[in-house]
Amino acid sequence: MSFEPVPQRPPHLSQTGPQTGIAGAESARSARGALTISSLDKSFTISGTARKVLDGINLTVRPGEFVSIVGASGCGKSTLLRLIVGLDDEYTGEIRLDGERVATTSLDRGIVFQDHRLFPWMTLEQNVELALLNTDVPKSRRAQIVADHIALVNLTGFEKAYPHQLSGGMAQRAAIARALVTEPKLLLLDEPLGALDALTRVHVQNELQRIWMQQRSTMVMVTHDVEEALYLGDRVIVMTPHPGRIRRIVDVDLPHPRDRRSPVLHRLKDEILAELTAAPTDTTDDARGNLVLLPTREDR
Amino acid sequence: MSLLDHKPARFAVGLVAPALLLAWWQWQASRGGSNAVAFASLSTVGGAARELIVNGTLLADAAATLQRAFTGLGIGATLGIALGIAMAMWPLLDRLLGPLLNALRQVPMIGWLPLIGLWFGSDEGSELIVICLSAFFPAMLNAHAGVAQVERRYLEVGQIYGFSASQRFRRILLPAAMPMLLTGLTQSLAFAWIAAIAAELLMGASVGLGVTMQQAQTQQRLDIILVTIAVTAAIGFAINQLVYRIRSSLLAWQAPAQ
Repeated sequence: MSFEPVPQRPPHLSQTGPQTGIAGAESARSARGALTISSLDKSFTISGTARKVLDGINLTVRPGEFVSIVGASGCGKSTLLRLIVGLDDEYTGEIRLDGERVATTSLDRGIVFQDHRLFPWMTLEQNVELALLNTDVPKSRRAQIVADHIALVNLTGFEKAYPHQLSGGMAQRAAIARALVTEPKLLLLDEPLGALDALTRVHVQNELQRIWMQQRSTMVMVTHDVEEALYLGDRVIVMTPHPGRIRRIVDVDLPHPRDRRSPVLHRLKDEILAELTAAPTDTTDDARGNLVLLPTREDR
Repeated sequence: MSLLDHKPARFAVGLVAPALLLAWWQWQASRGGSNAVAFASLSTVGGAARELIVNGTLLADAAATLQRAFTGLGIGATLGIALGIAMAMWPLLDRLLGPLLNALRQVPMIGWLPLIGLWFGSDEGSELIVICLSAFFPAMLNAHAGVAQVERRYLEVGQIYGFSASQRFRRILLPAAMPMLLTGLTQSLAFAWIAAIAAELLMGASVGLGVTMQQAQTQQRLDIILVTIAVTAAIGFAINQLVYRIRSSLLAWQAPAQ
């Protein structure tokens, strides 16, 4: 219990910086949130043997871009987000946000997990306000900012509800509000909608698209739903497992908001699914020699 | 929908067993013969209760025992919670003290009486030590478990929002451990109450419910014994109800059990 993260404050949260609300922050943000990952390797030691989970990841995310990462379980996509957010710093290679090397967690980088991780002992409002605890936002303005963000995710009226009183979709939207309230330059989404039922998921996807269009902060979302990845992402990174590598980067050249029925999305979906279920091109990995690889069943 | 969903009905159902016990008791007492010695009639017990209330003994006894129990609880449970939390947070401390404390807690409260009596005599201080010891262990064990079981995923949220050590303690560890802390406190309270009566009975104090019980036994006053037992049970029950209420209000954030 000795780890002591030192939060780096985003400049726009300082009292001297521009006090932008939710809207109107585009100009201040457009130049920020550039993520660069170069020759990133990550290994875990499992019962004495080192296992590579990420191998030679190179990726550049432009400011304000929405990037989706898809891949089967074990391709290291969630590990990648934990490295970017700073919860794990044992890796080789480089992760830089706006040129600055990522060493620990920072208020510049927000994250939404698959499990909402709202504190069950706090109301929705208190949970969102908690994120502002170590920011320079003056106390007098916090209530308004929290209310704005609760409104942004359409949860007005539920401020005093405890997490157990919210549905899964509502709790996940509340987690998104908490992650956004600090106005991070980069928002990471780790399968944020993975635990939701199909109908709720479509609904929250729409919300997420609307929020991203409104905020235009850089977002990187990990998912195993190819359709979701394509619907939201400007680009879709396709990863393959054992060890986790980037296999392909797909440009989705369609303006937002998007139409789910667009033939372009459907064509790309078929392509990516074929890619994910194909046998790996790379057989240098010795562990793979005598393994029969079955297509993954994770893409719904 | 059952009978128990209605509050008055619920209350009445809870009274059935005590009422049956009293009726059976009265029946036994009225049978005469040797039974009259073993079972004092309800009117005799009522008379003794009136006597003890009027001469002030009962009130003084209850107050003295309550004060003893709560003083012991205050000291024992505070130390227990503090040490339990500290041990859960610092593995070295846990390793240093854990084995010793785990061995010591196997000794029943009564087992300490001879040693404490020998060292400190049988006055007020000795009784307090016994009560403190009784309250200490449940508070310590539950506080330890509560803090040790705080989920990593919540601590990570604190890490992401740059929590300091004190913020992490106050806003994550303490509230997350609160259900277990309160469970420990409830147990400590019950143990302290039992220990207070036992210490009075076995070590002898000037006033207290246990003292009156003890004296009544030597004077063969069955009616007084019964009055003190009833009062001990009633106070213990009332304290438990109170703690239950406090617990529910402090833990309003928990989903109701299905």
